[in-house]
Amino acid sequence: MEIYLPIAQMSVQWPVILGLGFVIGFLSGVFGVGGGFLLTPLLIFYGIPPGVAVATTANQIAGVTFSGVLTHWKRRSVDFKMGAVLVASGLVGSAAGVWLFAVLRRMGQAEFTVSASYVLLLGAVGAIMLNESVRTWRARRDGLSTSGNRSGQHNWVHGLPLKMRFRQSRLYISVIPPVVLGFIVGILSAVMGVGGAFVSVPAMIYILRMPTNVVVGTSMFQILFVTASTTMLHAADNYTVDTLLALILILGGVIGVQYGVRAGAKLRGEQLRFLMALIVLVVALGLFWQLVIAPADVYSLTGATP
Amino acid sequence: MRALVLALLLLAAPASAEETLTSGLSQDYLQITSTFTGSELTVFGAVENPRAGGTRDIVVVVRGPDTLMTIRRKDHIAGLWINNARAKMWLPSYYFITATRPLRAFADADTLGRYELGLGNLRADTVASDGDAKPYADALVRTQKRAGLYIQTDAGVEMQSATLFRVHVPIPAAVPRGSYNVEVYLFRAGEVTAAQSTPFYVDQAGFERRVFEFAHTSPLTYGLFTVLMAVALGWASTFFFRART
Repeated sequence: MEIYLPIAQMSVQWPVILGLGFVIGFLSGVFGVGGGFLLTPLLIFYGIPPGVAVATTANQIAGVTFSGVLTHWKRRSVDFKMGAVLVASGLVGSAAGVWLFAVLRRMGQAEFTVSASYVLLLGAVGAIMLNESVRTWRARRDGLSTSGNRSGQHNWVHGLPLKMRFRQSRLYISVIPPVVLGFIVGILSAVMGVGGAFVSVPAMIYILRMPTNVVVGTSMFQILFVTASTTMLHAADNYTVDTLLALILILGGVIGVQYGVRAGAKLRGEQLRFLMALIVLVVALGLFWQLVIAPADVYSLTGATP
Repeated sequence: MRALVLALLLLAAPASAEETLTSGLSQDYLQITSTFTGSELTVFGAVENPRAGGTRDIVVVVRGPDTLMTIRRKDHIAGLWINNARAKMWLPSYYFITATRPLRAFADADTLGRYELGLGNLRADTVASDGDAKPYADALVRTQKRAGLYIQTDAGVEMQSATLFRVHVPIPAAVPRGSYNVEVYLFRAGEVTAAQSTPFYVDQAGFERRVFEFAHTSPLTYGLFTVLMAVALGWASTFFFRART
């Protein structure tokens, strides 16, 4: 049941990798996240070199997300105009992120920076989502009316210039917040090996005030292009994309995502957000724990070049 | 019976000829294929023109290609464990050593150090950011031992007769590619009296090799191909699932 990976240069149990791909694909279908924030740490934990894990995860997310984008396109739940703005700024961000990652790696701080940013981002995002979803859930139970589309409410975003109309999202807002969001997500994709949905989905809901039903589709659209470009950059610069590893992950992933989309359709918005908040917080706590407890060996081999 | 006596006489006769070694490998080329889960190399050999009397000891070393290793040390800073100091050193990516007896039983520290025999005697041009290089070198040996890439056993040389020997060298799945060297030493009275070295190659083969070469010779095309493969699989899955539901 073992197979040798040509780029990672090690053999793995392929059923384990296939199962990992399925679980991540399932979560991806349910929540509209790429699942990279779980897959990258799990692959590293399994023993895949971190560089290969980051680059190959980006490719797996691109593959799994494509079927999700098609599914959402058919349901007309993708805002292509918003997606295009996010992708354009995301490509610039991912190039900046690849440069930043190279600098951090030379300093020997890449691993710590990645873990610390995971803890901060996942912790903050998870806490906000958990709080919001619990309040909505309670309000619904108590019979109070909750409006799904809060585009009528105004926040600081509406004071910014360069307004643009996004018809699919029923929004007329400044183009600055989506551009900044796209750029940040691009950096995260290159540095952390994630699609960045755990940042962009909450930002779309709470800052841009996009309707929840187009958020997931649009986020997937953005992730598809940003992860595809990240894969190309890593393949060209670092030779760290493993086709065989990606193939097994995607096979598991595309099957998982189909079941995930179906399961997700049966759950209400705030239930989805509650579950995702829990997963995000558990990962954040796990990573924080690793930074705090004394390591088994304070010395570690961080690089070997022939 | 007479033939045997004659043979023994013939072997003992050229007393002036020096005692030397011949050795060979079960294979001089190890191919890593998709089902590769580690392997075993057999080193075998014989002592030629054996001299009577005294004890002979044989040491077998397998060295992988030298690699620039970076070792970092974490320190407890503000409650968090952060990489704070580092050392770089050139050391073999794979090292195996065994002998007929524990090394220190037949050779002194100076001799072992001169020939770099034993995990404690690997010489590295270490540059440590905080001055003392020793703990970094020790840490590297620990890490490589855990990965099964540094191996030292006491009595792995099997003597099949007074002069014929054989050694089984475990090759783990994570073995690095490159050019290896198998060294055999003959010890007499604490000194090396004969030595022989044979090259050995580890490389990928078949599909794995083609993928590896594709990724390194035309990386951008390879990246594009990988992305397209991912997207095509994603697309194909939607047809498959639509057909079933």
